[in-house]
Amino acid sequence: MIRIKAEELKPGMVTAREVKNIDGMLLAPVGSVLSERQINILQAWGVTEIAIEASEEQALACDPLAQLPPESLAQITAKARARFWKPDEFGPVSAEIFRMMLLREARRILKLHPPAP
Amino acid sequence: MTPPTIKAMVQAIPRSLGAYGPVLREIEEALQSPQCSLNAMGDAIQKDPDLTARLLRLANSPFYGFASRLSTVAEAVGLVGIQQIQDMILASSVLEQFKGVPDNLVSKVSFWRHSLAVGTAARLLAMERRLPKPDKFFVAGLLHDVGRLVLFSQAAEWAQKVFELYQRERILLRDAERRVLGYDHQQIAAELLQNWSYPAVLVQAVAFHHAPDGSIAQTDAAVVHVADHLINAMGIGSSGEHFIPPLSEKACAALSLGPEPLAGIVAAVDDQILAVEEAFLKRDNGSVK
Repeated sequence: MIRIKAEELKPGMVTAREVKNIDGMLLAPVGSVLSERQINILQAWGVTEIAIEASEEQALACDPLAQLPPESLAQITAKARARFWKPDEFGPVSAEIFRMMLLREARRILKLHPPAP
Repeated sequence: MTPPTIKAMVQAIPRSLGAYGPVLREIEEALQSPQCSLNAMGDAIQKDPDLTARLLRLANSPFYGFASRLSTVAEAVGLVGIQQIQDMILASSVLEQFKGVPDNLVSKVSFWRHSLAVGTAARLLAMERRLPKPDKFFVAGLLHDVGRLVLFSQAAEWAQKVFELYQRERILLRDAERRVLGYDHQQIAAELLQNWSYPAVLVQAVAFHHAPDGSIAQTDAAVVHVADHLINAMGIGSSGEHFIPPLSEKACAALSLGPEPLAGIVAAVDDQILAVEEAFLKRDNGSVK
């Protein structure tokens, strides 16, 4: 399974989790083979990230962190860790926030979807 | 030398609406009137062209995400709601009130950018968690660190001491505040907002944003806590803290918050923050305060 941005969806991709909008309304059940139309609907609902089924190679190709050279990944990981007051006390929510920090930095380096200043 | 008391600092900052006083008074008068209408509200607001421009900018932005373009103030009042507009005016008056604070310890643009992003994230988190009146969390997030501005403006030399200790020992800024002053920015903000007769729940949310489980309004404080952590981690603006203070797992539990909604909230903040900054930070001449 990989998580990709809504604008990176392509027809034929298969959802690996339920897709819901911010109000919790079900937009696509697990295992939906996405059509162009469904992708438009997901984007119109403002869905941001979607879990889709993927082979290992596809997963690598879509993951900004996997596209970074290893030394660069090590560098941003160390930099992000150093900003936390106590990086060893990560719960599930903190772990997700840490992943998002790395993704944000990786996207910035790779110049993908630049976040707001 | 002993540090100034919280009371002494806070009493030096009376609640002042500054340039926004007349508009707020007119809105309040219009609300009292039996003939109160959206048009009457619109007329009261329109007497302040700067406020009108900012209100329309925000009402037409992704912050509200209305499907069609609003062109009149009466329309905006109808859709945004009068409580929200009063909050927006109050928030603007707080920004106005602290505009003279020196920039040497923390840049004010950076400070307000952080605060506006926390307000935006807190509102989105409250919406996502389906809490009642999510809009009120915008004000709570916006004001959560206002105690620092009180310290910078009322006791600059003590603020300097706090920053020296914080840089020398590389500890959390709030711990440096406690060691130098005996209290921290949460307590200063609580006293200030209480003095200004802000609602008790808002005072609680601000006063306990670093330790929500100590608050009698735990959910409200937890929303601000999580939003603050998230915005610190995403690195949007800064209120002076160079570390990301720890996330309270108790706060997440109080909101039954798992990792799933976070990516959506951050994406929505990225989407909205520019419009929010423009509405609150831009001057008539287009420059950022």
